[in-house]
Amino acid sequence: MTERIMSHPILGDLPHKEKVSFTFDDQLYEAYKGESLAAALLAQGIRTLRVHEETGHPRGIYCNIGHCFECRVNINGLDGERACITPVTEGMVVKSGKALPTTVRDWRKHHGK
Amino acid sequence: MGNKVIIIGAGPAGLSAAITLAEKNIGVVVIDEYLYEGGRLLGQLYEETPNKWWNGIAESERLLARAKELNVEFSLQTSVSDLEKIDQDWVLHTNKGVFHTKQLLLATGAAESPFPIPGWTLPGVMSVGAAQVMTNVHRVKPGKRGVIIGVNVLSSAIAMELQIADVQVAAITLPAANLLTINSSNPLEVMNSLLYVSHMAPSPLIKIGSKFMKNEILKKLGIRFYPKDGVKMWGIPIMLRKAVIEIVGKDQVEGVVLATVNIDGSIVPGSEKRIDVDFVCIAGGLYPLAELASLAGCPFHYIEQLGGFVPLHNEQMETNLTGLHVAGNITGIEGAKVALAQGKVAALTIASKLGASVTQIDIQQAIENVETTRANAHIQFHPEVLVGRQKMKEIWAQTLSHTLS
Amino acid sequence: MQNKTMMVCRCEEVSFDELVKTASEYNCSARELKLRTRAGMGYCGGRTCRTMVDQIAHIYQPRSNNDISLKYQAPIRPVRFADLGEVKS
Repeated sequence: MTERIMSHPILGDLPHKEKVSFTFDDQLYEAYKGESLAAALLAQGIRTLRVHEETGHPRGIYCNIGHCFECRVNINGLDGERACITPVTEGMVVKSGKALPTTVRDWRKHHGK
Repeated sequence: MGNKVIIIGAGPAGLSAAITLAEKNIGVVVIDEYLYEGGRLLGQLYEETPNKWWNGIAESERLLARAKELNVEFSLQTSVSDLEKIDQDWVLHTNKGVFHTKQLLLATGAAESPFPIPGWTLPGVMSVGAAQVMTNVHRVKPGKRGVIIGVNVLSSAIAMELQIADVQVAAITLPAANLLTINSSNPLEVMNSLLYVSHMAPSPLIKIGSKFMKNEILKKLGIRFYPKDGVKMWGIPIMLRKAVIEIVGKDQVEGVVLATVNIDGSIVPGSEKRIDVDFVCIAGGLYPLAELASLAGCPFHYIEQLGGFVPLHNEQMETNLTGLHVAGNITGIEGAKVALAQGKVAALTIASKLGASVTQIDIQQAIENVETTRANAHIQFHPEVLVGRQKMKEIWAQTLSHTLS
Repeated sequence: MQNKTMMVCRCEEVSFDELVKTASEYNCSARELKLRTRAGMGYCGGRTCRTMVDQIAHIYQPRSNNDISLKYQAPIRPVRFADLGEVKS
């Protein structure tokens, strides 16, 4: 479990911001309006945002600035959205990324490649 | 929109260029894919001189306020996926539509280059820059207790930032040796690279080193007798004789396996020890993010001192393509203040082409300001950055004479 | 589910061992190494692993310093067909 840094010796206190709610895999969460989805989820202890499409290995944020696409999730029906650069809005529906039903690696294995 | 200058990247180089152009009454649109303006500047926080802090958020806000006052337009959350030259225009394809401009400035900054560690795909492992942004910009702790892999100027600066925010850093340590970590896993090499920057780096770590390591023999002795549990900097152990050989955890990070290393970086068998952490940062350095310059057709040169492949450019920040300019870390890895100064040069070069009242002396002074800023830089990412800049100057001169002949 | 393999390309899960093996077996360029293994061909477009793939290739084949070894291809960010056709969603 992580936490928010409410007061900071140099940067000062966190300004009071409006809260919004959103869902992640059908669970209800809170966020500060306009903050990144990745930050809102991490503040509530959620690190795993998707699993690798082929292998099912869990993944979370890596670069946090939109370069690596590791944090991609489904937002309001759109796949491949980066949680680290998407601001949370009220009522946002977020789903974690899932493994594909039939993977190419299985095919490789079963065909002796 | 076609008559406005477009700048890609709202970091220090882009913001400074936007302000300079707008001050000459030239319309500017700044495009960036992030949520906020400021780029990498946002996360920066360090003490320049006692009690005088470089606060990236405050600096970004100051620049942004000035830009907005001058009616600079911003298009955030806008990702450029391609650019092409059609007739006289640079045409940008983005998720927010198509943009046209005759004068384009690429200020796309840098990306982090990692090194691989078994287990580094686990949630909880992030680039050191990611932890910095999470902590200082989003004000969310990356975890309770973490380890930073990679000992360099950037990682020690960010370790201190984490410490200030009350995030525990159990250690800054080396990656295990392999073909991709040749220099960053070797205790002696790492010690050397840190000593090299001792006169400018803000870190007590470096001061510890420079005190007793004036010659090669002492350096070797120093690293041989370097305490296995590290030397503490702001209470954070800097472990130059340990390496992370594996990151462990079931569904997310639960710990790392540390091993003692010999002075050549090889693992001491049987020295493996697990420590519990809930996050891990990988600090492998930065490289110029020049993908758009590549798509545009710029020639590239590999210059190690500048951080990798950089697009061909001159001191005026022009590329060899008409209407295409570069500024900031896309031209080589340096600090934010150099990027600010380069942004100004690029803007003056563009402004003079657009017929604004800019003299060659103005541009020359701005170039000299880049050099002064570089000479006074607080943090130097590569100790021989000047050599790198000189190389690019020579390549430009050669290419140009070749084109003319 | 712990993955002990040392990955280089996170997107396509291409391991260090596979890359080194391929590079030594074919003594190939960075580009060929990428095409043979799919390292750098995933969702991020190789932004995360390109320096590592490049480095592995250049252990076996010296780098030409005057040419980018792993070419960038458009689009450098995934593009939705709706955006491509400028269809408002």
